[in-house]
Amino acid sequence: MKTKKLITLALSVAMISAAFVTVSAATLTEEQQDGKTEVTARINGGVPDGITYEIIIPDVIDFGDLTQPDSNTDSYKIVDYSVTLEKVNGLDENTQQISVYVKDQNATPDGNQDFKIANKENSAITFKYDVYDTLVSEQDLPTFHSLNYNTMTKTKGFYLTGFTFEGQELKGTLAINQSQLYGRDILDIAGDYSGYMVFYSTVEDIT
Amino acid sequence: MDKKTKRNTPVMIVLVLLAALIIGGIAGYVVYLMSGSQKPAEEKAQGVVGRITDGWDDGISDDTDGSSQAKGGTRIPGYSAAYMNEGDMSLVLRVGNPPENTVGLIATVRLEDGTVLYESPVLKPGQGLEEIPLNQTLSKGEYNAQVYYQCVLLDDEHTPLNAAVSAFKLYVNQG
Repeated sequence: MKTKKLITLALSVAMISAAFVTVSAATLTEEQQDGKTEVTARINGGVPDGITYEIIIPDVIDFGDLTQPDSNTDSYKIVDYSVTLEKVNGLDENTQQISVYVKDQNATPDGNQDFKIANKENSAITFKYDVYDTLVSEQDLPTFHSLNYNTMTKTKGFYLTGFTFEGQELKGTLAINQSQLYGRDILDIAGDYSGYMVFYSTVEDIT
Repeated sequence: MDKKTKRNTPVMIVLVLLAALIIGGIAGYVVYLMSGSQKPAEEKAQGVVGRITDGWDDGISDDTDGSSQAKGGTRIPGYSAAYMNEGDMSLVLRVGNPPENTVGLIATVRLEDGTVLYESPVLKPGQGLEEIPLNQTLSKGEYNAQVYYQCVLLDDEHTPLNAAVSAFKLYVNQG
């Protein structure tokens, strides 16, 4: 009888003990699980307009070698780029769009708004370039206005495009006028240049 | 019951309890080990670091037939909204570097006024977070927030490339 009681007691303690440690372990896990459960709960129930998307931006645009022109005349070098709405979920294409804006990393509505590349050794030496929201050939450049021809009024940047469906792509052109190099001492300006564009995307109502 | 048995009974109880605790402990430890199968990716200590995992994706289903070829450029995730409660020190938001990319991304979650809520280390393609720790909590309200994605080369210097901003509304509910 006594032995039976002891065995019963031992089994009970073992089960309680195991349960306690399991709950402790589960609590550690459950915090993670909880997070995941909350993800589901919040995404499904808490985001009425839960739109998710993925855009593709150019990480680098290379003008290649620039050449100092012999005369002070327009001498453009152009390079094309593209921005794509690769994936989108939850967008009402009749009333909403993924708006994309672009600006130079240092541009502000109140300050300098130019797109620039700067000498890597001497950032005071800069050259401007223009951004077009469409493909433009060199000879057609004078007939098009670049984005930065306008005034940038928003911190987001210049309005580039509005996407409404998956796979939509904007192709555009960057152009640098090498006449900026004319008359400069080549020893001063020689070197590598870089500049950075910032692409801003947001869900907006179509107006 | 004789005297000897009476004297040994407390000792036996203690031994049995001890054995039971050990068995329970081992069982619990095994459960704990089994539950920790998702290992965090190697991460550098930089700013506030959350649980960064490999095998991350942006969770956005692709409606194409799957035959699309790899495209140049860098993929940037975007969102319209995120929600949290007042007092929360974490935010459920998929922030990361899509596996198709060939560059690194440094993600900074911030408010439009510049208040930084989280900054990641360099995220390699396929690395990201589903829930990010916050530097501070926020009061109830509606905020203009954004994830600033700085593209960098995966070299030692993490040479900067172009950048992208994904803007979204951050709704903070009463806790």
